[in-house]
Amino acid sequence: MNAAVGVFAVSCTREQSTGAGTLQREQQLNQFLAEVERRALRIAEIAVRDRDEALDLVQEAMIKLARNYADRPGDEWTPLFYRILQNGVRDWHRRQKVRNRVMVWFGRGTSSEDDYDVAANTPDPASRPPDVELQTHEAMQRLEASLHELPNRQREAFMLRTFEGLDVAGTAVAMGCSAGSVKTHYSRAVHALRDKLGDHWQ
Amino acid sequence: MNEPGNKEQVAKQAKELFDDSVETLDAATLSRLNQGRHKALAELHKPAGVSRWGGWLPATAVAAAVLVTVLVMRGPDGVAVIEEMVTASDFEMLLEEDSLEMFEDLEFFALLDMVDLETNDDVG
Repeated sequence: MNAAVGVFAVSCTREQSTGAGTLQREQQLNQFLAEVERRALRIAEIAVRDRDEALDLVQEAMIKLARNYADRPGDEWTPLFYRILQNGVRDWHRRQKVRNRVMVWFGRGTSSEDDYDVAANTPDPASRPPDVELQTHEAMQRLEASLHELPNRQREAFMLRTFEGLDVAGTAVAMGCSAGSVKTHYSRAVHALRDKLGDHWQ
Repeated sequence: MNEPGNKEQVAKQAKELFDDSVETLDAATLSRLNQGRHKALAELHKPAGVSRWGGWLPATAVAAAVLVTVLVMRGPDGVAVIEEMVTASDFEMLLEEDSLEMFEDLEFFALLDMVDLETNDDVG
């Protein structure tokens, strides 16, 4: 009898510790996602130039991270999350290429870039003077346009390093390439942006 | 803004603009992000394996449908029945102008058949 009670007590303790572990992991993941989601959305939005599509991509990345990598140490989440997101963005671009090819074949060649409504996707104005707001808005538009003109890998490297603040190793994991490639892509991106924006950023 | 004279300056200005755009995201967007995050967290409570099998189900259904289609389209002795379906030559026959004229003279052809039958009876 005492042995049975003992086994039951051990079983309950294990379940409690497992439940507490799951709760703690959920809280950590929630905190991580809440901290990263807005920057991730803007990074995805700059890459695909469509907020709704970007929201879908970020949500998909969050779900995949929770489903497959929740057990991994927290410091691995950031590069893993961006790896998933970047793969999603690349798949999106592939699908767009196929879609555009089909549309051209049917005589309805449209580009997603033509449909991008900059005004509709502009962030809400903060409480700033209108001239400052306009200046900031125009500068962001120029930056987004210049980033969009970059080759995909250069844009990825620049956004992950600069906007998300990943180091070279983390960016390499997120991009699925070597640290040397990250350095090359990043350096070329910065040079290209300096050439494109140098005249405007005054 | 100052003209960016070096790499760090470009990155710094870009980061400032980016952070500003992140801080001024509208409430509707933030709400959708919040919903997406809670959907992701709900994954933690799903038993392992359900989503994996759930992902395979559509592919399995498509494969089964293709298999059934192939089996139906082949006859019991393994000969492809699809060859007996409409072929290109059938379309050619239907599209020929003579065919339409033939439909107009159906009574004439029926009369010819009757004459042939009577003639054969007489011979027999």
